Amino acid sequence: MPVPLRRLLAAAAILATAAAGGPALAANLKIIAPASPGGGWDQTARSMQQAMQSEKIAGSVQVENVPGAGGTIGLAQFANRAKGDPHQLIVGGYVMVGAIIMNDAPVTLDAVTPLARLTGEYEAIVVATDSPIKTIGEVIDKLKANPGSVSWGGGSAGGTDHIAAGLIAKAVGVDPTKVNYIPFSGGGESLAAVLGGQTTVGVSSYGEFDAQVKSGKLRVLAITAPERVPGIDAPTMKESGVDVEVQNWRMVAGPPGLTPEGKAEILKTIDDMAKTKTWRDTLKTKGWTDTYLAGDAFTAQLKEDIAKAHTILRDIGLAE
Amino acid sequence: MSASREGSGRKLGAIVVALALIAVAGIVAADAIRLGAVRTFGPGIGPRAFPWAIAIGLALLGLANLVVALRGKAVEAAPVEMGPALWVIGGLVGQIVLLSFAGFSIATGVLFGMTARGFGRGPLWLTIPIGAALSFVLYVIFTKALALTLPAGPLEKLV
Amino acid sequence: MDAFVSLAGGLAVALQPTNLLFCLIGVTLGTAVGVLPGIGPALTVALLLPVTFKLDPAGSLIMFAGIYYGGMYGGSTSSILLNTPGESSSIVTALEGNLMARAGRGGPALATAAIGSFVAGAIATLGLALLAPYVVSVALAFWPADYFSLMILAFATVSAAFGDSALRGLTSLFLGLALGLVGIDLMSGQARLDFGVPDLLDGVEVTTAAVALFAIGETLFVVSRKGAADETIEPIKGSLWMTREDWKRSWKPWLRGTAFGFPIGAMPAGGAEIPTFLSYATERRLTKHPEEFGKGAIEGVAGPEAANNASAAGTLVPLLTLGLPTSATAAIMLAGFQQYGLNPGPLLFAAKPNLVWGLIASLFVANALLLILNLPLIGLWVRLLSIPRPWLYGGILVFATLGTLGANPSLFELGSLLALGLLGFGLRVFGYPIAPVVIGLILGPMAEVQLRRALAISQNDWTVLITSPISAVLLTIAALAVILPIVLKTREKGIVFGEDD
Repeated sequence: MPVPLRRLLAAAAILATAAAGGPALAANLKIIAPASPGGGWDQTARSMQQAMQSEKIAGSVQVENVPGAGGTIGLAQFANRAKGDPHQLIVGGYVMVGAIIMNDAPVTLDAVTPLARLTGEYEAIVVATDSPIKTIGEVIDKLKANPGSVSWGGGSAGGTDHIAAGLIAKAVGVDPTKVNYIPFSGGGESLAAVLGGQTTVGVSSYGEFDAQVKSGKLRVLAITAPERVPGIDAPTMKESGVDVEVQNWRMVAGPPGLTPEGKAEILKTIDDMAKTKTWRDTLKTKGWTDTYLAGDAFTAQLKEDIAKAHTILRDIGLAE
Repeated sequence: MSASREGSGRKLGAIVVALALIAVAGIVAADAIRLGAVRTFGPGIGPRAFPWAIAIGLALLGLANLVVALRGKAVEAAPVEMGPALWVIGGLVGQIVLLSFAGFSIATGVLFGMTARGFGRGPLWLTIPIGAALSFVLYVIFTKALALTLPAGPLEKLV
Repeated sequence: MDAFVSLAGGLAVALQPTNLLFCLIGVTLGTAVGVLPGIGPALTVALLLPVTFKLDPAGSLIMFAGIYYGGMYGGSTSSILLNTPGESSSIVTALEGNLMARAGRGGPALATAAIGSFVAGAIATLGLALLAPYVVSVALAFWPADYFSLMILAFATVSAAFGDSALRGLTSLFLGLALGLVGIDLMSGQARLDFGVPDLLDGVEVTTAAVALFAIGETLFVVSRKGAADETIEPIKGSLWMTREDWKRSWKPWLRGTAFGFPIGAMPAGGAEIPTFLSYATERRLTKHPEEFGKGAIEGVAGPEAANNASAAGTLVPLLTLGLPTSATAAIMLAGFQQYGLNPGPLLFAAKPNLVWGLIASLFVANALLLILNLPLIGLWVRLLSIPRPWLYGGILVFATLGTLGANPSLFELGSLLALGLLGFGLRVFGYPIAPVVIGLILGPMAEVQLRRALAISQNDWTVLITSPISAVLLTIAALAVILPIVLKTREKGIVFGEDD
């Protein structure tokens, strides 16, 4: 097939000049993005790649996509193949925690070495501006009176959005299995449902709503942050008397069986990467909040998050 | 596409297809029954309703196909020569088997060569290397220019 | 008239020589990557995103637009020539398009696809510029119950149009529906028909299924025929270009396809597949050459291709007016905006009018460039088919497996390709139509999700399907689409012919 080949080679030439190249000062790394190209985890992995390469923290960095089942397929493959290799990383997030529990995945996060939380976002509860509901208190009253009458539009079943809705119901004494949670497959679809008043409220990472909030089409009722977030004009759930705190985070982990030296080395690489200007700029342009937390502190936090997710998913009826 | 009228083997084929459909309906129904044990949240119909509807639909269609087949009114199966088809299937299987250790180029070269063989062209010692060379070029484009990952083997490690 | 002035301003931006060059690079790269089967425009854009990093926002978005349209164009080229649809919205194109190509009419098929895409893209882009606020309010008025009824309409029209045996068509459709059940159920998070295999949790990938059922199934079928190797396809029979007759038969389908594609594409859950199905079914019903459908009818390429392209412009309506990414490509476009700290939505129109109008204008330009670039290449593309069968089919299989591996490098995915290819082979041998399988696989899960959403929102009140006016109208049309042909047929049967075939 001469034609496509010739054109592809032309493409290759243009792309080759665009690709960042640098002398191999440090080790060559491989980052697994357990999702298809284009999604959040893939973008995280490729942003890390860019930061590490252009700031010469690593020699060449290769990103490999292993999509499937909320990241559990990539995780299982990584845990098996990368064992003990301090030059391989995997990206993941809170959604993976939910997926592991719900799918009863044979390989869990226990099988890898958590390294650092990179970014995070708090969940926001929103309504369309023309909705009669003005405060989170009204939602809670409605929920207590008739749980089914409050429909929550958000991401996939058992994901962070669902966990947040379940936690809120539980915190105000409503049976989490009665929560009328309506999963949507993409951000756009659930946003449209909230904007059109199809669901009573919308629940997702704040970033999903940011543009609509700024343009005055959505009203934020509450966020699931421990304290108010600058730039978001809304109370926390805690302020409103509901003891719920959820962060939808993304992290990076290493393979199992790392030597202490290997772990220290890769942690330092990530630490250096997180401090680079390229990475900080990426966070800014992508609108990602920096919730960097590394090493043992992150491991402890992760354990807590997993336990919390497990409990609430069991309460909702999605896990054993 | 019209074939010779005779042949009880053909009729048998149609019956087997109808039975296979009923079997698929059974699998879907069994899975729906398994889902019966699952708790669901919120109002609305659960994950079982559609599988049941599809299982029942498939079962009815399977029965209808069976009746048609038994009456001998099924469309004649097209006459096929399995030999050449097996070469192509073998090529696809060979690619899957070879991919993880021989790498993309060699495995895909085998697919190419065996497909050509199915169509009566050879020899394999020539067509497989041609296919592997073509695949190697594709490999380089995909991995170097588009930053996608394809399985690497001894050949790919050279670049 | 404001919009026209702004659009003219936008055209001035898009026609600057450097931007024109970016657009040209974009359409070329997009076409080159898009022709690979299994790699649709969304993945094409995702893969080529890094190329645009170094440019200024205007140049980058313009290259983006070019890549996007180029990717779509490349996808239809491989659908028509090789029967390997790279994305679900060009599956319908493959149906009649590939048959035309095999009958030596690949030239007109590619031309009607290209010109139809251009016409649809131009009209839809104009619609985007002038009507976006109105279209979006209509689109948001669609609730889950209405979507469900829209899908019922698609089922009703499409299944009435496939194959000559209702029993066989329905059997294939239900097989597709059963395949669509595999994987995690979106609404409940429960796995269905996964048999404990983690790889099945994400379900059957539509493009993998389409490539397997169409391309692999067909390769197996062709190779198993006697004397297969010696037959060659004559790439050009009659005119390489569209004849007068072809033009006459194409222009109405282009317009009707646009009318389906643009509004449905603008709906947040509308997608690009449904308009192509509706367009195909409509053209099949309205054509003066019904005997050609199933053998390569130009209307069946012209309409769906236009619908496909118009829906792509449609998805930009909610993206640009509300900032809603409603398709995979739109989501990636959003990422493209965000890399410059821009958030699409009404604010962007006000804050950066040059950029938005420049983008809209560059969609026009990208479309025109594609046409100019590709029409002369049709002669070359078509000659691909004159490659002797052993090498042609060997190449098709190489590209089919490459596309599948590129999108998801897993042995399991290749295994599915083989398994579904064998299914396609079997269906063909026993005379069952292939297309309804893919349609069931696409529409089934969509319809299920929308119905269950509708019932969750209404708290189990089934009457939403009739109390919503949109839904009631759609269901009525669907009922008519099924009943009318039967009534007409019985009347014809009784009065005119006296007997049916």
